[in-house]
Amino acid sequence: MSSEQDHLKDTDTEARFDFKKEESSAFETEKGLTEETVRVISEDKGEPEWMLNRRLRALKQFQEMPMPTDWPGQPDLSEVDVAEIVPYIRPDVDVRAGVDDWTELPDEIKDTFDKLGIPEAEKNALSGVGAQYESEVVYQNMQERWEEKGVIFCNMDEAVREHEEIVKEHFMTKCVPPSDNKFAALHGAVWSGGSFVYVPEDVTVEMPVQAYFRMNSEGMGQFEHTLIVAEEGSEVHYIEGCSAPKYSAFNLHSGGVEVFVGEDAHVQYSTVQNWSKNTYNLNTKRALVEAGGRMEWISGSMGSKATMLYPSSVLKGPGASDNHITIAFAGEGQNIDTGAKVYHNAPNTKSTIESKSISKDGGRTNYRGLVHIADGAENSSTAVECDALMFDNESTSDTMPYMEINESKVDVAHEATVGKIGDEDIFYLQSRGLDDDDAKQMIVSGFIEPITEELPIEYAVELNRLVELEMEGSLG
Amino acid sequence: MSSAQLPANLSEETVREISERRDEPEWLLESRLDALSALDTLDLPDVIQTPGRRWTNLEALDFESLVDPLDQADETERTADEGVEVLTFTEALDSHPDLVESAFGSTIEPRENYLTALSAALFTTGTVVYVPEGVDAEDVTIRAEMNSRSLFSHTLVITEESSSVTILESIESDAGVDADARYFSNLVEIAAGENSYVQYGSLQNLDEDTYNYTLKRADVDTYATVNWIEGNLGSRLTRSDVESELNGDSAETKIVGAFFGHEEQHFDVNARVWHQAENTTADLVTRGVLDDAARSVYEGVQDVGRDAWNTSSYQRENTLMLSDESEADASPKLIIHNHDTEASHSATVGQVDQEDLFYMTSRAIQPEKARNMLVEGFFVPVLDEIEVDEFREDLESLIDERLR
Repeated sequence: MSSEQDHLKDTDTEARFDFKKEESSAFETEKGLTEETVRVISEDKGEPEWMLNRRLRALKQFQEMPMPTDWPGQPDLSEVDVAEIVPYIRPDVDVRAGVDDWTELPDEIKDTFDKLGIPEAEKNALSGVGAQYESEVVYQNMQERWEEKGVIFCNMDEAVREHEEIVKEHFMTKCVPPSDNKFAALHGAVWSGGSFVYVPEDVTVEMPVQAYFRMNSEGMGQFEHTLIVAEEGSEVHYIEGCSAPKYSAFNLHSGGVEVFVGEDAHVQYSTVQNWSKNTYNLNTKRALVEAGGRMEWISGSMGSKATMLYPSSVLKGPGASDNHITIAFAGEGQNIDTGAKVYHNAPNTKSTIESKSISKDGGRTNYRGLVHIADGAENSSTAVECDALMFDNESTSDTMPYMEINESKVDVAHEATVGKIGDEDIFYLQSRGLDDDDAKQMIVSGFIEPITEELPIEYAVELNRLVELEMEGSLG
Repeated sequence: MSSAQLPANLSEETVREISERRDEPEWLLESRLDALSALDTLDLPDVIQTPGRRWTNLEALDFESLVDPLDQADETERTADEGVEVLTFTEALDSHPDLVESAFGSTIEPRENYLTALSAALFTTGTVVYVPEGVDAEDVTIRAEMNSRSLFSHTLVITEESSSVTILESIESDAGVDADARYFSNLVEIAAGENSYVQYGSLQNLDEDTYNYTLKRADVDTYATVNWIEGNLGSRLTRSDVESELNGDSAETKIVGAFFGHEEQHFDVNARVWHQAENTTADLVTRGVLDDAARSVYEGVQDVGRDAWNTSSYQRENTLMLSDESEADASPKLIIHNHDTEASHSATVGQVDQEDLFYMTSRAIQPEKARNMLVEGFFVPVLDEIEVDEFREDLESLIDERLR
C-alpha cells in the first residue's frame, strides 16, 4: 500500500465514524410531516413549481400507503414514527453560492469530513467529491478535465436549477416513482440534497466520482436523492459512503437512487454504508438499463439498526446485463435485510448476484432477492449465489430468494449455503501462531474478498477496517 | 388476507348430520363443530406474494359451487401387510378409540387455516395406519377414487418404537361424476415413534377440473425417519404442503417431489422442514416439468432452530420448461438460527439441454422421441427414491402417457 493511503489505514476508524458535533443549524423544519413542511422545504430551496407539485403528490401517496409489515421475517419497523422525525435540516453555511474550495467551509464541518478522510481521498484517487452534511450538500468539486467533456457532477438542488430539463424528465418518473413503496413516497415528499451525475455520449470518466453522506443531528431523517444519467456508450463509477454517529433516539435514512444506463453504457455504483446502530436505513435504488448497457451494484452494509434495501436493475434492452455484489454484516441488535432485484425484460439479458453475509452476537441477516424473467426474454441467464457465515446460535441467517420465470429458453440457477466458521481452518491458523480472534478475522476477510476486490483501494481498506472493528465488537 | 366465502350448504346441522351418520364419539363431533365455528375468522393458507403479484389465487375458489358436504362418496381399496392395521377412519374409531383421539389433530391443528378447518369439519373418509412396536410392514396401499363433487379425507399414521412401514396412497377421479368443477381435500398426519421408519408415497391423478388441497405433516421422534414422496400429475389446481418436524435427536427426513403440468394446470407445491433437535438431517428434492400454459409455484423451507446443533440440511429444486407459455416460480428458503449447521439449497429452471438433444438427434433419434427420453430421464432422481415398485411403475407410466 502506498503512503498516500496511510490516512485510511492508520486513522482510528471508530473515532472517524462515531464522533458527534454540536448541532448548529440555520434552519430546520418542525418535527413530523405535513403539507406545510413540504411547502417550506420547497420554498427554502427556491424550487420551481413542478418540483413542489411532485413533492405534494408524493406526500399524498405516502399518507395513503400502509407501512410494510407483512413480509416474511422482515425487520420490525414499529419504532419508525415519521411524526418524530425532523425531515429537513439546513446546516449553517451558505451553500446556495456553491462551495468548491474546501478551506471555505466552516471549521466544524470541515473537521468532520477531514476526520472521515474525504479531501485526502479526493486528492488521491477521485475525479470528483461531494459531501453532504445533514440535508444539504456542503461541498462539491469536479476535476476540470471531465467538466470540459461535458460531465456534470453537482448536488441535486443545484441540478434542479441548472439542469432543469434533464432532471424534470428523469426525477422520480420512470425509474423510482413515489408509488413504488411507502418510503419512496416519503422520500419524494421531503428529499433534499444528494448528487446529480450526467455523463454525455461516449465519455468515459476513468476515475470514480464520490459522494459522502453524514447524519450528525439526533432524531433526524436524511433523504438524499441521487440521479445518474449515463448516455449511450459512456462509462462512470460512482461511490457513496454513509455514516452517522449514535444517539439515543432513532434516525431514519430514506434515500432514493435512480440510474439511467444508456445503450452500451456502463455504470458501477458502489456503497459502503456504516450508519450508526440506531438508524433505520430504508432506501430505494434502481437502474434502468438499455440495450447492451451494463449495471454493477456493489454494496457493503455494515451499520444501522435495521436495513431494508434491495438495489434493483430493470434490463430493458436486448443484451443488457447486471452484476450485484453485496455483503452484509449484522452484529448485536442489528437486522440487515438486503438483497437484489433483477427484471429481465428483453432477450439475451444476463445477471449475476453474489451475496455474502455474516451474523454474529445475535445479529440477523437476510438475503431477499427477486429474479423475474419476462415472457419473451429468451436466451437470458441468471446466476444467484448466497453464502452465509454464522458465529453463534444467537444469530440468524435467512435466505429468501424469489424466482419468477415466464420464458423457457433460459438458464436460471440459484445456490445458497450457510455454515459456521470451520474449526479446521481456525485450528490451522492457530497452529501457524495466530490467536483465535485474528484467525476468525482472517477467515472473514477471505470470505468477503470478492467484494473488496471490486472496490477502489480506499474503500476496500475502509470496509476491511470496519469488519475488523465489528469483529472486535468495538464499533457503535 | 381475507377469509374465504363459506359454502352456502354448510351449517351446524350439516356437520352434526355427517357425524351422526358415522356414529362418531362426542369428542370428534366437538372437534368438527370447533373447526366449523372457526371458519368465519380463519384465513386461507399463506401464498407467496412478490411485487405486483400473488403466486396462487386461492381466493378465486368458489366453495359454493365446489363443495357439497352431505353428498361425499369414494371407493377406497386398502391393503395391509401382516402385523399392521390399516383401517378406515370409522373402523379405527371403534377398535382403537383412544389411539385415534390422541393422534387426531396432534400434528395438524384443525384450525390452522380455512382449508384445514373446512376439511376437519367435513371429512367423511380416511384411513388409520397403526404399526405396533417392532413390526415391519412393506406394502400398505390406499387406492382411492373420488365419486362425488367434493371429498374430504383425513389420514393418520402411527408408528410405534422400532417399527417400519411403506405406504402408497393414490387418488383418482371417477369419470362418471357430472360437475364443472370439483374439490378434493386431504390431511395426513404422521406420528413417527422412536427409531421407526416411514415411507409415505402419494400419487395424485385427479381429473383436470378438480381443485385439490393437501397438507401432509410428520412429527418425527428420536432416531426416526420419515420419507415423503409426492407425485402430482392431475387436477386443475393443486396446493400441496408436505412438511416434517424433526423433533427428536438424530431424526431424519427426505421430501421428494415430482410434478408434470400441462394445459392450464397450476401446481403450488411446498416442501418444509423444521430442525428442532440435535443431529437431524433433511434432504429435499423436487423435480418438475411444465408444458403448454401450465404453471408451478414452489416453496422449500429449511428452518434450523436455536437448539438444533449439528444440523445437515439440503434442498434441490429443478424445473424443466417445455413451452414458452408456461411459468415456473420458485422460492427456496433457508432460515438458520444455529451456526453449527451445514445447509445448502439450489434451484434451477431451464429447457431441455440443447446439446443433449443435438447429440441424440445426430444418433438418428427423432427429435420428439429424443425430447421425451430426456424428460423421462429428468425424473430419474425422483423415481430412484421410490421403494415400492408398483408406485414407481405407476408414476413412470403416467409420465409416459403425458408425453404422448
